[in-house]
Amino acid sequence: MRLSELNVGEKAEVTALKAVGAIRRRIMDMGLIKGTQFKVVRVAPLGDPIEISFKGLYLAMRKNEAEGIVVCKVDAFNGEEFSQADQQPIE
Amino acid sequence: MSDGKEICIALAGNPNCGKTSLFNALTGAHQKVGNFSGVTVEKHEGYLDYKGYRIRVVDLPGIYSLTPYSPEEIVTREYLIKETPDVVVNVLEGPNLERNLLLTTQLMELEVDFLVALNMIDEVEEKGIVVEIKQLQKLLGCHIIPTSAKKSRGLDSLLDHIIRVSRKDIEISKNKLFFRPEVEASVDKIAAMLTHQKELGGYNARWLAIKLLENDREVYHEVQCYPVWVKIELVLQEALREAERMYDSEPEMLITEDRHAFIRGAMQECVRQPGGVKTSASDYIDMVVLNRVLGLPIFLLVVWAIFQMTFTLGSPLMSALEFLFGALATAIAPLLPNETLRSVVIDGIIAGVGGVLVFLPNIVLLFIGLSFLEASGYMARAAFVIDRVMHRFGLHGKSFIPMITGFGCSIPAIMATRTLKSRTDRLVTIMIIPFMSCGAKLPVYVLLTGAFFAPDVAANVMFGIYLLGIVIGLWTAWILKSTVLKSDSEPFVMELPPYRWPTFTSVFFQAKVKSLMYLKKAGTLILSAVIIIWAVSNYPHNVALEKELSAESAQIARSGVAAAEKMKLQNRLELRIKSEQLEYSLAGRAGKVLEPLIRPLGFDWRIGIALVTGLTAKEVVVSTLGTIYSIGQSNGAPVELKSILRQDPSFSQATALSLMVFVLLYIPCVAALGVMKKEVGRWRPVLLYSLYSLSVAWIVSFIVYRVALLMV
Ligand SMILES: Nc1nc2c(ncn2[C@@H]2O[C@H](COP(=O)(O)OP(=O)(O)OP(=O)(O)O)[C@@H](O)[C@H]2O)c(=O)[nH]1
Ligand SMILES: [Mg+2]
Repeated sequence: MRLSELNVGEKAEVTALKAVGAIRRRIMDMGLIKGTQFKVVRVAPLGDPIEISFKGLYLAMRKNEAEGIVVCKVDAFNGEEFSQADQQPIE
Repeated sequence: MSDGKEICIALAGNPNCGKTSLFNALTGAHQKVGNFSGVTVEKHEGYLDYKGYRIRVVDLPGIYSLTPYSPEEIVTREYLIKETPDVVVNVLEGPNLERNLLLTTQLMELEVDFLVALNMIDEVEEKGIVVEIKQLQKLLGCHIIPTSAKKSRGLDSLLDHIIRVSRKDIEISKNKLFFRPEVEASVDKIAAMLTHQKELGGYNARWLAIKLLENDREVYHEVQCYPVWVKIELVLQEALREAERMYDSEPEMLITEDRHAFIRGAMQECVRQPGGVKTSASDYIDMVVLNRVLGLPIFLLVVWAIFQMTFTLGSPLMSALEFLFGALATAIAPLLPNETLRSVVIDGIIAGVGGVLVFLPNIVLLFIGLSFLEASGYMARAAFVIDRVMHRFGLHGKSFIPMITGFGCSIPAIMATRTLKSRTDRLVTIMIIPFMSCGAKLPVYVLLTGAFFAPDVAANVMFGIYLLGIVIGLWTAWILKSTVLKSDSEPFVMELPPYRWPTFTSVFFQAKVKSLMYLKKAGTLILSAVIIIWAVSNYPHNVALEKELSAESAQIARSGVAAAEKMKLQNRLELRIKSEQLEYSLAGRAGKVLEPLIRPLGFDWRIGIALVTGLTAKEVVVSTLGTIYSIGQSNGAPVELKSILRQDPSFSQATALSLMVFVLLYIPCVAALGVMKKEVGRWRPVLLYSLYSLSVAWIVSFIVYRVALLMV
């Protein structure tokens, strides 16, 4: 599924990047690469940009950009409740 | 002090990691600091002397990686690669280490002499994060010095290490980051081909190879013109196929992943975060401020509060200054025996320059309000909340930050658009910034709302004017985006930094810098404008009118009416002669030519002159009105401009509204036009734009005037 389809409060892990061009680069530089786990924090009042948090940082992005990120949902972050070995398989 | 030993250091790091704060702390400068990404858009230089060395410090715009994204980031990359400073100081945002280290890995690849300033160490400690510096130093192959630019901690140690690094007096050996074997193989192959190219000797071959695999456009162009390119291209294609086959990915992605893997490892080895997820103060604030229901009202409230503050806190101070200038004029007048000199000082300088200076408190308050917004971290939130609206008009949430800056002054705001990547988005944003009412227009509003509206509605009328500016700006953006500047909208990916308390010194110095600028403007540009206006509205003298004056005065003196009546007649006579003389003057004649054009907006020739002179700087509108009306006074005694305007029959509430709207919308001041030209690159769009804004100003003022006439 895509990042844009997640609901507020859900946790997920990046499995691939579909975005192309400069924005792809920017997303990668921000640290959103395969394996990065994040949480959807909120949606802006008017419904568009969404805010996610990972590795202690908060990132806002439009749904349009979020569509370029393929993710799979996880129940908990690595090292939070499950151990490393319990990683969710890639969808 | 220094004995010729100069070291050049460059501050490089992610946006918002505290480079400019560190720059200020090191050099004693007061460059602008703010709690959002992209405050610095140009490189700044400063000097300091330390232990016999003269250190040149270069502050650069923030970058996330050495592959730049927006125009201001290109500046940094170019500087780091082409200018090769002696030492690069990689500033890291301590609490956000993991993301910040990505750039560090790229500096490792570049093989420059660098060291790390682990900044915001105060916040790191507060959060209970422990960094094993020794271990991390070994992994990164460079010195790491904990600093706090805010608390001036670790600066001497940083400088000591900078000197040591520049003298190659270091005991930490550089470390190399290795990628997965497939990538390494390609890197080695390309690097081997490049080392034989003497022309490319300036760069290290490994770095060029990595950049080629990363599809770096600049490096492509650089290498493409050499014969060896044919062979390299084959290797690149091979690498692409390989990555596709083995990882269903591409080399660029693999390289980034490997860098992140390296960082992950370093973090696990060297950084201990306190366990458990804690909700920080920022999280709590955002729960309210970015709330789905409250977000938008809060945003409007914040902007409204700033204007309300500017007005209500400012007005008693303004009255005090007005009183002061009035007293000054009364005190000086008798000391100036020469009538011409008296007129220059009272009607020209005091009415014109003083008339502008009284607004200093409002201006300072406005800038304090804005710097509070910028320093607290709310700016990025505002962009987040409002992005949807901006998107509708074809703009970007990020465009909103320069727009807010534009409420202070258009010039830095126009420059701040460099953080936008897409050229069309930049152009559109530049074109709408002048509609954001700047600080220089504030005196016009304060004067007119003060004269024609009750104190309790004045601030709201002003707020309405600001809103009108925003509406016209967005509308302009929409038109531009759907006609001449069609393009896909720029992607929106933006970091929301934690809230931080604005430091007193930075707010104070911002306010001080702005006040000094305002005073300087009043003392130079406005003063000269006022003197010229005084001259053109006094000369040439109409000799016939003077004769008429003396003849009729004599007649009044001879007539048999009572003394009080004589005085009244004499006053009325002088007023008539003065206004006829004013119309006879150069300014009067020029104004009369203009008048038919602006009559439909409710403006007479005096306002016409003020609007023309206002092109130099918008405050000059107020100065000009001050001078012209003061000259037109019968007895030359200093009277507050506000009350003169109120009594003037040609001025009404409708005129005031119409004039405010016109000043809001018409052609930007020359300084802003100059910066626009510089950023856009050509005069044509700037001139077209001026024409456009003039027409919009005329049409909207016309509507406002007519509607106001009907309603009042
Ligand atoms: N607590 C703390 N805050 C800091 C420190 N250094 C900087 N800040 C704050 O961090 C924010 C960003 O500072 P800047 O100096 O503008 O950052 P910059 O790296 O120049 O940012 P750009 O120019 O946008 O790239 C400001 O709110 C500073 O007050 C520090 O050592 N400790
Ligand atoms: Mg800066």
